[in-house]
Amino acid sequence: MAFDQALRLTSILLAAVSFVGLTLGSGLPAWLALVTGGGLIIALVRQVATGASAHPARQIWFTPAGWNFLVVIGFLGFWVDMFLVSGELLPAGIHFLMILMVIKLFNLTQRRDYLHLYAISLVAILASGSLTTDLWYLPVFLLYLVAGVWTLILFQITKAPEGPSASPTGAPLGRVTPQLFWLANGLALACFVMTVAIFFLIPRLSTGFYQKGFGDNIRTSGFSETVNLGAIGPIKRDPSVVMRVELARQAPHVLDRLYVRGLAFDQYDGKSWTNRLGHRRNLNEESPGTFLVRGHQGTADARLGDVIQQNILLEPLDTAVLFAAPFVERLSGKFPAVHSDATGSVYLPFPSASRIEYSVVSRSQPVLPVDLGSAPPQYGESFAGHFLQVPDLSQRISGLSEDLTRSRPSSYEKALAIQEFLTRNYRYSLDAPLAGLDRPLEEFLFHRKTGYCEHYATAMVIMLRTVGIPARLVTGFLATEWNEYGNYYVVRQQDAHAWVEVHLPHSGWIVMDPTPPSSEPARSEHPAWLALGRIIDSAKLQWSRFFVQYSAADQIAVVQELKAGGKSVGYKAFDSMTSIFGPLTRLLGVMPDQIFRGSNRSQMAMLGVIVTVGILLLWLGRKKAMSGIRLTRKSTGEEQIIVGLYKQMVTRLADRGISKTPSTTPMELVHIAGMQWAESNSAVASITELYCRARFGGMVLTDEELQRAKDRLRQLTALEKP
Amino acid sequence: MPLHTPFFRRRSFRYRSTRVTSEGLQFLIFTLAIGIAAINTGNNLFYLPLAMMLSLILISGIVAEYCLRRLEFHRHLPDFIVANQPATATLVVKNRKSSLPSFSLAVFDASDGRDLDRGATVHHLPADASRLVSYPFLARRRGKLHFEGVRVATEFPFGLFMKKAFYAVEGTVVVGPEITPLNENILQGLVSAGQEQSLHRRGQGTDLYNLRVYHAGDDSRSIHWPTTARTSQLMVRETEAEEQRRATIRLSTIAPLSHDAVFEQAVSLSASLVQHLVHQGYLIRLIVGASRSIFGHGEPHLYDLLRMLALCERRAPNGKIDGNEGLEADHAEADGGTEIVVQSWSGPSELQPNRLTVLINGQPISGGFYGV
Repeated sequence: MAFDQALRLTSILLAAVSFVGLTLGSGLPAWLALVTGGGLIIALVRQVATGASAHPARQIWFTPAGWNFLVVIGFLGFWVDMFLVSGELLPAGIHFLMILMVIKLFNLTQRRDYLHLYAISLVAILASGSLTTDLWYLPVFLLYLVAGVWTLILFQITKAPEGPSASPTGAPLGRVTPQLFWLANGLALACFVMTVAIFFLIPRLSTGFYQKGFGDNIRTSGFSETVNLGAIGPIKRDPSVVMRVELARQAPHVLDRLYVRGLAFDQYDGKSWTNRLGHRRNLNEESPGTFLVRGHQGTADARLGDVIQQNILLEPLDTAVLFAAPFVERLSGKFPAVHSDATGSVYLPFPSASRIEYSVVSRSQPVLPVDLGSAPPQYGESFAGHFLQVPDLSQRISGLSEDLTRSRPSSYEKALAIQEFLTRNYRYSLDAPLAGLDRPLEEFLFHRKTGYCEHYATAMVIMLRTVGIPARLVTGFLATEWNEYGNYYVVRQQDAHAWVEVHLPHSGWIVMDPTPPSSEPARSEHPAWLALGRIIDSAKLQWSRFFVQYSAADQIAVVQELKAGGKSVGYKAFDSMTSIFGPLTRLLGVMPDQIFRGSNRSQMAMLGVIVTVGILLLWLGRKKAMSGIRLTRKSTGEEQIIVGLYKQMVTRLADRGISKTPSTTPMELVHIAGMQWAESNSAVASITELYCRARFGGMVLTDEELQRAKDRLRQLTALEKP
Repeated sequence: MPLHTPFFRRRSFRYRSTRVTSEGLQFLIFTLAIGIAAINTGNNLFYLPLAMMLSLILISGIVAEYCLRRLEFHRHLPDFIVANQPATATLVVKNRKSSLPSFSLAVFDASDGRDLDRGATVHHLPADASRLVSYPFLARRRGKLHFEGVRVATEFPFGLFMKKAFYAVEGTVVVGPEITPLNENILQGLVSAGQEQSLHRRGQGTDLYNLRVYHAGDDSRSIHWPTTARTSQLMVRETEAEEQRRATIRLSTIAPLSHDAVFEQAVSLSASLVQHLVHQGYLIRLIVGASRSIFGHGEPHLYDLLRMLALCERRAPNGKIDGNEGLEADHAEADGGTEIVVQSWSGPSELQPNRLTVLINGQPISGGFYGV
């Protein structure tokens, strides 16, 4: 491809990449996306179809004045957009930018037009960076980088020299060679590596606790002061990721499920739950950024429970609740303040508009042996008012509870009996619309006998309270999706869950869950797709952690580590690299298993891919080897050619009886040849001079000089003939 | 540069320089703007394009340095050129790098501390390959034109900066005085002097000497048929012997500083005379100040004389030597042929200051000495 044609192509691609970035960032209305996309496609098709010989200017429908008029119209449209339509500068500016891009795409005649297009595309990629923090920005940015490097190289190569050396025609200088192709891609790779290095090294001066929000927060339910029974149901089909939970110490196989606690509710009015203990108070900071959650959840020795250290990356939600495994002891994060209520729920002062990351130390509450045999004690009035409150219910529920627990002496055993009853005799279904009924709990327990977590948890709490056991309903998430590539739980909206916390006299609050496993069929996606989904999710996490949320605090931490000693930094760097490339290596690790466990078809497909890649590598290697051989020949080629010609000349002279002894110098041979065979003198002298220059003078012979030597040898050969 | 400057600094100062191009300036402004935006917003997705632009700047410097490294230059200059007449120089550029090519090389001649753009460019120089670059150049003044080296520049890869490197490739070419057409007065003077110098005698030549009656043994090819027909007897044509004409050109080198321009005109006129007379077949001798040549003819002799004129220098009068005396002393020299004296200064009692004086066989030639 000719340089100027390649320049036009890469310039259009550069614009296209920035347009894709803006479109994915939801920065464009549909009509403008269609217009710009159409313009790009037309420009690209024209470029590919017309070839290098046809100048695009020939196909332009407007004169320069017409284009200028369009720009003025677009500018007026920008003001109208800003004041009447969008009402903001950024969207109106982006819309105007796209209009300019379309105009420039059809008006690429002079070099400054190209520069304008590059400036527009740069602003567009910046705008897309301000509109999103999603992972797709990374491939778009990489494509932009590659297209940018190509474009700049071609723009430089096609630049006509200034001054007296300027080409009168300004004609293109050549074509894109394989060497230039690899060089440009190599430079793009080097640029990427250097970009990453510089990105991490640039000092971050802005230390804002919260970044600017991007778009709307994820709407969720079940995490407000009052929750209607059945509120969780609608979000149980939403696969949006709400958080990712890394466990610091537990091996993943130890915890096959993780309860991520949100809010606890004490008051049930027959249709909805309310948290009357929601009064929030500020938590004290143990150290900067680390908040200590006071108030023990029970009387048990805290050291008996298992410690769960979590690192949580929470997506922007429409609630201020900070989720964590029960029961939170300590919380660390870049927050100005953290609140807590009497039920142990933890909150931010207000919902975060951006993704946040925090670490939590939780401790589970074990059931102490002393609680296994003791009867329910008498609770204080205040405590009982909150956790033994029951609404006006039918006697059937009390009767059922009494029947189930009559033979059980202790609170814990009673609770187990109710849990077992619900788990065994009821069926899980999301298609259980109980919200509109007068007595949904009775309907669930005695008629439909199907429901989902809220119904089970509500039923168990009320049944426990009717037999005098304090209990409360807890909403949160039940994490079961383990991402083995990133070593974390993926928590989605559909993992929203409700369960029960039962108070035991000595153990305190313990977690119980009466919801049976879902009988609905699981997702029937191919394992490979599921694995791919987990890899992408892991990449999203790393992207967010290492790029989007990289901050001055991280840089300070690195510097402190460097001060502390090189080894730990090395290990941390190794860990970081492992975490970045971990998904890929793990995928490679599990691939053989997947292949050999899979069907013949998948095995054949994998074999085909391997063979194809092998052939491609061989072909590339062969090309490189061949080019290497060619280069080697070329490197000594000029000297070898003249030495060969000189040897042939010596042979011709020897045929005529003029032999060269080892002690004869080249110039002496010229002299001897001139004496004995005068006609040969000019040819011999000429070849010898070139030979000496190349062989001993280290001079570089040009192609013309080599051709002259060949001509002289031919003359000498012709002289030989009688 | 002070002597205490470290060697590597002196070296890098001399051999490398970088200039921002207009596109590079716009790029830097954009980079600055993005940097401000990134710092202002704290958005890491602004830091990413900022890092990209900074890396492009860094890579520009590194790649340009590799493009300019390990190049080898061999310059081929003509032995002799004439002032204000274009000549051609060739430059062999070789890339001594084993694997990396060089791109977009612009080659400048470094002379008198200046970079002279000859328009010589090498767009692509593969690793271990060489290119021959020819370019015209024009010397404005006679004398020795010295080239200190070659300055090679590249804007590769991104056109943001122009990086230059210096390679010491010394070369010298002798520049002869400017050759100009002679005016009519000088040509007439030369013709007159040439006629006086002609010797009429029979011999081998082309001009007619005599017609006589044919004698036995005469070459039949010399029969002059028109006269034979008119006189009715065989007549043969005798030719005049060709005797080569001689000329001595004397150029006075004594002139004060105020006459420098006139002296250069005198040198140029002498060169023009030398070339004219050599082409007319004269045996020429040139006397420039104290140095003199032998009589000779043909192109090699012409170049010898032009080289003398190229390198001659004006001498300021010191009071002891009178330029006229020196010239008159040589004037009496026998067998010098036509004597042409070119003077740029006639002495302290000069009647027409800043005017050339030309004497042919002692007769002054009037008027301007340059034709159109």
